[in-house]
Amino acid sequence: MKKLAIAFLLLLCTSLPAQDKKPFRWGTDPTGGAPFVYQDDDGKYIGFEVELAAYLAKKLDREPKMVAGDWSNLPQQLNKSPDVEGGIDVVLNGYELQEDLAGKYLPTRPYYVFRVVLMTRKDNPAIRGWSDLYQRGGERKTVGVLGGTVAQEYLEKTFQKQIELLSNPDVANVIKLVRDKRLDATVQDSPAATYFLKEYPELAAVGEPVRPGFYVIYCRQDDKELVAKLDAAIADGIKDGTLQKIYEKYGLWTDDQERLLYWQSQPWPPPFHPEAEGKGEEKKDAPSPLPRLSRELAEAAWVTIKLSFLSFPIAMAIGLAVGVGRVYGPRWVRVPFTLYVEVIRGTPLLLQLFIIYYLIPDLLARSGIGFLGDLGRALTPMVAGVLGLAINYSAYEAENYRAGLLAIPKGQMEAAQALGMSRFAAIWHVIVPQAIRIVIPPVTNDFIALFKDTSACSIILVVELTRKYNELFNFNRNLIVELAFLTAGLYLLMSYPLSIVARRLEHRLASLKGGAA
Amino acid sequence: MISVTSLTKFHGTHRILNAVSLTVNKGEVTALVGPSGGGKSTLLRCINGLETFQSGEVDVVGQKLAGGKPFDPKSLQKLRQKVGMVFQQFHLFPHMTALENVMSGPRYALGKSRAEAEPLARKLLERVGLKEKADSKPANLSGGQQQRVAIARTLAVQPVAILFDEPTSALDPAMATEVLAVMRDLAAEGQTMIVVTHDMDFAERATVVHRMKAGEIVKSGPPNEVLKDHS
Repeated sequence: MKKLAIAFLLLLCTSLPAQDKKPFRWGTDPTGGAPFVYQDDDGKYIGFEVELAAYLAKKLDREPKMVAGDWSNLPQQLNKSPDVEGGIDVVLNGYELQEDLAGKYLPTRPYYVFRVVLMTRKDNPAIRGWSDLYQRGGERKTVGVLGGTVAQEYLEKTFQKQIELLSNPDVANVIKLVRDKRLDATVQDSPAATYFLKEYPELAAVGEPVRPGFYVIYCRQDDKELVAKLDAAIADGIKDGTLQKIYEKYGLWTDDQERLLYWQSQPWPPPFHPEAEGKGEEKKDAPSPLPRLSRELAEAAWVTIKLSFLSFPIAMAIGLAVGVGRVYGPRWVRVPFTLYVEVIRGTPLLLQLFIIYYLIPDLLARSGIGFLGDLGRALTPMVAGVLGLAINYSAYEAENYRAGLLAIPKGQMEAAQALGMSRFAAIWHVIVPQAIRIVIPPVTNDFIALFKDTSACSIILVVELTRKYNELFNFNRNLIVELAFLTAGLYLLMSYPLSIVARRLEHRLASLKGGAA
Repeated sequence: MISVTSLTKFHGTHRILNAVSLTVNKGEVTALVGPSGGGKSTLLRCINGLETFQSGEVDVVGQKLAGGKPFDPKSLQKLRQKVGMVFQQFHLFPHMTALENVMSGPRYALGKSRAEAEPLARKLLERVGLKEKADSKPANLSGGQQQRVAIARTLAVQPVAILFDEPTSALDPAMATEVLAVMRDLAAEGQTMIVVTHDMDFAERATVVHRMKAGEIVKSGPPNEVLKDHS
């Protein structure tokens, strides 16, 4: 005990000098990946933004402290005090200068000028430039993007329904899908494109990088002093070549960056609607985006409904088979079925979806057997999502049915067999119908739970309700409350009728009880 | 028609039946009486293979069960279609109506269609006095009515013999009377049956009575001989 106390004191002493400096807490999402913020082989965080943050902290005479969070929720962290657990001073993670964000938070001057880059396989003759993305008779091209990014917004505006746009929270996954010919192309911010073109020699950038935009750092509205200091530090870094050195290290220095210096002395932020200048009325009359957003949410809700109603019947069928096998099957059936239930229940749904959509097709492709590889490539996100949910929930349904089967009095089986029924006939006609009735309440509960679990499918490029909400609020942060209520309302609208059905079924079930003795 | 030859059954080291032998002729009503725990119900359950036994043999019109090894499912199923069983707790199928219960044997054991099974099932329900309850679920029937449906259900597979395992013990006297009336009618029509019962009125009308005690048949004979010391 004493030793421990001394050790603690020592620790306190050694950490004291570091605490002299105020921390510079910068919020970022390290899963967003290279070359912004990522881990090297030793697990150390590197990336051009890590070095930028270190440089800025040094100029501010503060201690850089990286705070990890979910990318699309980083700005919300600024609404909280910086001194709470996970609190931040700034958001620094490839955030663009956007009107809605700039209205709520204070942006610094730009530290990087990016563009969006179209990438595809080198050996894909069908896409040699942006215009090849337009649908010309044949099937729509599948294009993967990072959800909620400028690239997604650009593609939606430019190509609308001409392409099949698939969004995903992870860049590396999308890039791999393009390499494996499971997506036609992807559009990424230029830093990510630069990095991944180096990593994946099978890929090439096609067409010109388009739509330049500024990466800025966002601070609290009342943190004018900090913004001024950061602006000065950025300007110094541009003038003395520090930023150029950092960017060159990661291969990110482009001609566009020459404009950075110019923007350090211009009015900031520049007008967002230069064409509307002077005609002040125009902006006020702009139609509210809410009807459009509602429609988009409703479309995503339909995806949620499809996922649920397609997967749950499969889950019930597999669950019933596994449940019956575990209760009545011979040993060689019981053992593997028990294993199945334990493995599926004991691993997260996200991981299972990941394995089904990414790993299995990858293994099939590597098997070298042609049709298996084709089968893997043909696996769409929707099918993988339905399969994943069905398999995951089948384990829970198997347990429900098992409990139901065990609750049927022994006399039922004896009476059926005494009539001369085979064991199978007795199970199928006498035991199972009763067990199914008994477990209606827990099974309906699981269906409602599955409804909400469909959101996990966003990691495999299925845009369902939760995912859609996340992406929409990225571009409409001034409507964040409205969007949240709309989304919650849609979920309620879908699950409440189910609750009513469940209650009705339970009532009917109660009236059947009592005759089992 | 039914013969049991030196049937012995153990539960662990506890001997429940000790070399029991018994013969039942066609058209006879055999009553098994005696104190609880004497092995009456177990004997009945051995006859249609609901219980295995260590040694001895059961023979129901040529379908045999031998002790000491697990029963072959196919021959067990054949034997059960020949000998029906009525339970103390009825064991009706609660998710089926009375009519569906009666049709369940013909449909799911004998493979008949609903159309084939229904006329006989309705006739049997009428015979046990429950014609108008055909569409009722068991939960909406009294105990006596449930037991009568159970008898009709057993009759529907047209067994050569029926085993009754204390069919009135779970019923109050009024309901027991209606069930016993049905059983007497069956006996009068020449239905072969073995009945485990505590009802002395019924036992008195049996063809043969066996008194069982501690796993053995201690006395057999016509009712007036076997029952007189105890009544």
